[in-house]
Amino acid sequence: MRTSLQAVALWGQKAPPHSITAIMITDDQRTIVTGSQEGQLCLWNLSHELKISAKELLFGHSASVTCLARARDFSKQPYIVSAAENGEMCVWNVTNGQCMEKATLPYRHTAICYYHCSFRMTGEGWLLCCGEYQDVLIIDAKTLAVVHSFRSSQFPDWINCMCIVHSMRIQEDSLLVVSVAGELKVWDLSSSINSIQEKQDVYEKESKFLESLNCQTIRFCTYTERLLLVVFSKCWKVYDYCDFSLLLTEVSRNGQFFAGGEVIAAHRILIWTEDGHSYIYQLLNSGLSKSIYPADGRVLKETIYPHLLCSTSVQENKEQSRPFVMGYMNERKEPFYKVLFSGEVSGRITLWHIPDVPVSKFDGSPREIPVTATWTLQDNFDKHDTMSQSIIDYFSGLKDGAGTAVVTSSEYIPSLDKLICGCEDGTIIITQALNAAKARLLEGGSLVKDSPPHKVLKGHHQSVTSLLYPHGLSSKLDQSWMLSGDLDSCVILWDIFTEEILHKFFLEAGPVTSLLMSPEKFKLRGEQIICCVCGDHSVALLHLEGKSCLLHARKHLFPVRMIKWHPVENFLIVGCADDSVYIWEIETGTLERHETGERARIILNCCDDSQLVKSVLPIASETLKHKSIEQRSSSPYQLGPLPCPGLQVESSCKVTDAKFCPRPFNVLPVKTKWSNVGFHILLFDLENLVELLLPTPLSDVDSSSSFYGGEVLRRAKSTVEKKTLTLRKSKTACGPLSAEALAKPITESLAQGDNTIKFSEENDGIKRQKKMKISKKMQPKPSRKVDASLTIDTAKLFLSCLLPWGVDKDLDYLCIKHLNILKLQGPISLGISLNEDNFSLMLPGWDLCNSGMIKDYSGVNLFSRKVLDLSDKYTATLPNQVGIPRGLENNCDSLRESDTIVYLLSRLFLVNKLVNMPLELACRVGSSFRMESIHNKMRGAGNDILNMSSFYSCLRNGKNESHVPEADLSLLKLISCWRDQSVQVTEAIQAVLLAEVQQHMKSLGKIPVNSQPVSMAENGNCEMKQMLPKLEWTEELELQCVRNTLPLQTPVSPVKHDSNSNSANFQDVEDMPDRCALEESESPGEPRHHSWIAKVCPCKVS
Amino acid sequence: MPRNNQLLHFAFREDKQWKLQQIQDARNHVSQAIYLLTSRDQSYQFKTGAEVLKLMDAVMLQLTRARNRLTTPATLTLPEIAASGLTRMFAPALPSDLLVNVYINLNKLCLTVYQLHALQPNSTKNFRPARGAVLHSPGAMFEWGSQRLEVSHVHKVECVIPWLNDALVYFTVSLQLCQQLKDKISVFSSYWSYRPF
Repeated sequence: MRTSLQAVALWGQKAPPHSITAIMITDDQRTIVTGSQEGQLCLWNLSHELKISAKELLFGHSASVTCLARARDFSKQPYIVSAAENGEMCVWNVTNGQCMEKATLPYRHTAICYYHCSFRMTGEGWLLCCGEYQDVLIIDAKTLAVVHSFRSSQFPDWINCMCIVHSMRIQEDSLLVVSVAGELKVWDLSSSINSIQEKQDVYEKESKFLESLNCQTIRFCTYTERLLLVVFSKCWKVYDYCDFSLLLTEVSRNGQFFAGGEVIAAHRILIWTEDGHSYIYQLLNSGLSKSIYPADGRVLKETIYPHLLCSTSVQENKEQSRPFVMGYMNERKEPFYKVLFSGEVSGRITLWHIPDVPVSKFDGSPREIPVTATWTLQDNFDKHDTMSQSIIDYFSGLKDGAGTAVVTSSEYIPSLDKLICGCEDGTIIITQALNAAKARLLEGGSLVKDSPPHKVLKGHHQSVTSLLYPHGLSSKLDQSWMLSGDLDSCVILWDIFTEEILHKFFLEAGPVTSLLMSPEKFKLRGEQIICCVCGDHSVALLHLEGKSCLLHARKHLFPVRMIKWHPVENFLIVGCADDSVYIWEIETGTLERHETGERARIILNCCDDSQLVKSVLPIASETLKHKSIEQRSSSPYQLGPLPCPGLQVESSCKVTDAKFCPRPFNVLPVKTKWSNVGFHILLFDLENLVELLLPTPLSDVDSSSSFYGGEVLRRAKSTVEKKTLTLRKSKTACGPLSAEALAKPITESLAQGDNTIKFSEENDGIKRQKKMKISKKMQPKPSRKVDASLTIDTAKLFLSCLLPWGVDKDLDYLCIKHLNILKLQGPISLGISLNEDNFSLMLPGWDLCNSGMIKDYSGVNLFSRKVLDLSDKYTATLPNQVGIPRGLENNCDSLRESDTIVYLLSRLFLVNKLVNMPLELACRVGSSFRMESIHNKMRGAGNDILNMSSFYSCLRNGKNESHVPEADLSLLKLISCWRDQSVQVTEAIQAVLLAEVQQHMKSLGKIPVNSQPVSMAENGNCEMKQMLPKLEWTEELELQCVRNTLPLQTPVSPVKHDSNSNSANFQDVEDMPDRCALEESESPGEPRHHSWIAKVCPCKVS
Repeated sequence: MPRNNQLLHFAFREDKQWKLQQIQDARNHVSQAIYLLTSRDQSYQFKTGAEVLKLMDAVMLQLTRARNRLTTPATLTLPEIAASGLTRMFAPALPSDLLVNVYINLNKLCLTVYQLHALQPNSTKNFRPARGAVLHSPGAMFEWGSQRLEVSHVHKVECVIPWLNDALVYFTVSLQLCQQLKDKISVFSSYWSYRPF
């Protein structure tokens, strides 16, 4: 994933499903971690008062999570490990949700124990794993590589459960396991560390058959160091650890199945069941003295019996669902509790506080321990409902009180910035994505809310299940076409511009589960065809031009998992969930072959090869990208029961998407399995945004239009660009106005696009070929020029999302006033991604979970408490440099405000780059970088980044930055320092933004106090500065150094004249001395930039 | 076993156990599926269709894995075969130039015997270790200890086991039954969220 990508989640009203399959509480009792069937992990905050609140959703696994465990000594590193059905293992940092390590092994684990022996082991310790394989695997906790295994000589089998016994008495750690067949085995742990490291076989020390099946838990009593509790699904037993003699068997009554247990004190045990009940027993010794060592188990067997003290049960509710996963956390230090916790498939977490000394009632009957806390994800959504409305909720007003429309499917068209949402009631809403997001996120957007242009398409009678925009996948298809399928197996072909129904296909095959398009290389009668997968496992091929159904393949017994195309022989290859393959001949519609097993696998793999061979052709590389997107997006929908599709695959799909077409703003619809609840993720590409926002030389536009002869579309775009530019220059376009202005040109260009489809088609081909040849510098540019004011709007929304609203009321006011951005309705749910396939999303109400967050700050968009400190530190280093544009005018000028925004964004981009840069890279770059003798490595690296991020301005300036002043380096150093302190990117970005805005607004605030008529000259001066967003500032610093050596007063006056003349047409000059004081620092930079500005925007200077 | 025109006899050792991993895994998967199905009380009432679908998904997952264990034998490399417990399971011990692998492929029990010969260190053949395969062909090379070995002859014996055939049929039938149940339930799923408007 591009590091500059920032994500903001727009949750719907319903929480995403989270069917808990594994649960644990971290050792500090601050966080509950749950793993779900959907493949996500959820971090829940646990307060000191035992209140639960969901904090963060972690995306990393693509299949159901099977187990969770501690992965380090928790007091040193708060890491946990999770394992999934498909063999994936991830190590997570619980405090910030980062995935530290990921590996996929061909083993399915069902239980993991962390083991570390500090004085015999180097490294981070071992993860002892068991699961659907023989014996116990030893995995390195840091690298997740298999170290070795514990082998068993007798009855090797799968292991169900295990525990590590630290016995003080014997000074030896042992591993106790129970196999699927009920065989208890013991391995020496601490004494076999050496032989494990030397890869020698280690066999069990003892083994004993326990005569029961389905062992759930084995626990050692650390209080007495005598008893061993083994819980089976139908009974639980107590053994003597010394000789494994059976002391007690308790069989389950009234059909309950035991799920686990724990020893909570000497002779006191806790047993829980699969349906969420738990029981606390006292093990009573009747009379016989404990000092008598029982030679024979039978003697003791009669002397121990359980006495039920207390019980717990979950509250009856209708969502209640089995099985429950439960766990118990023992008290460790003073403020800690003894906690019994459970997680349900429905996603509910329940906690019980177990008293230190559980006692029964006076009459001896068991006492019921009440539930201490219970919570679900949905509770979070309900409680913080201001922030959890879906992206199109504001349309609910239009639907005379029928409640909000539930979006069942959605699709984003990047080229048009349109979001298509299919609703439960069969309507399809098409809206401008940016406006929708604004209306949804920002406060007081009544202005926005009334106006967003949207279309409602009515044609379906049932919930819309899938959408497809063919032009997005292949530019050869009509831009106006859009396909939608519903629950009633009706597929409609729409014209999205005229809102007409072009054709209705009735398939009569159950719900349309997904719509796909054949790859570009596959053509039938010269056209690509649409493939439609239906609920009855059938596949229909639709020909859009001919408005006909070519083939309806109905023989599949299992859900369709994969669709492949064989272009040479016109075959459609369908892979099903049971690993069988059906090959259909498209022309005749006959089933050519049906294969299962090994041969089926070979056929599917073969197709992959053929595709790869094709993609070697030079032109196809763009196509390949298309294909990969398509294929990726095709897989998640069809995946049947086994690997969970849902979010993971989609997020990887997003990655390619983003790479394929860099745009500043993107919407990613996300849908989860087993429910039609979806949500949207807004993606802001900071790099691209900065790229687009930097004052683009007009020559760029010109050259592009002259490049491709008479390309009408492009020219239309460029005129739009110019128009908005002039609008900006004439200072008439404030935020909302420009939005309206933008709406017009867009439709205009679309209309033109319609007329010239054929034309642009040809050009497209040429363009693509050219693209290949053009250097890298050209490539990142989006093929379609993104509208300038749209970009500004995106930038504003982005800043709105990042600003810590509510920290300082005055600052909020100033931001709204001067930056012309709107306040957030509440804290946003930020998405953080660190590498390709791990991703975490904040949940609504996450802000209340932040530890140490002051109560006043609830409802404040502050990512963490740290931000304020960081921001202060940043401000402390800031005053050294003066070249930063400050002092905005009171009369809100859209141009100046946009310049400020550009400045802020480029600053953020720099911070982002710096923090994201891996340390090794920093060193490497640093060493290879031409050194300015004194600078150390870090500085050199920083220098380089600086150049990197500002190379655009460098290019335009036509000169190379060769020297970076000290003041700036201190900032770079500070930020690099943050990286080393593992400050999160978002925290750093917000801190810098806060500091910069504060600085900015402070200077603003001063002006009216000091001298109310602020001189325009200064203003003009500022403008200049702001026009040179990135490097100028460093340049100025450089100059500042120069200036320091010069007498201060001399340069001031000539420069002043210069700036006055610049702004002469704006305003007359007054109050010279005052301004002088304000300005003198900035002015020296002036003359140097003057010529540059003249070059970039001539109209401005004149 | 024919070798240099003389017959060698080997028997399984009495003192050690060796289990055909595929059968054990398949059995364990099936017993997990059975446990999933029986871990509810007789009187248990399913409350939602989704609950049944999830149960069926879990059961089908286990059944598919069980079937796959039988239909797809593991692809092993020659060093993996050499290191497996099976080579040490015979009395008298196998000579060092023999490797034995036993696996199940669909309804057949297969025994493959690889006859090896050591490659001379200065041999002109370029050494390329063979990748994992179900059945290695003569000429496959590998490194074992400090020695480089090459497969000279491969002998394969297959034996159809009737009950394996039955088991595979039952797997297929049970999977289809589960899928049919799922299909029937999901027909109604469109009505779960249906509301008139």
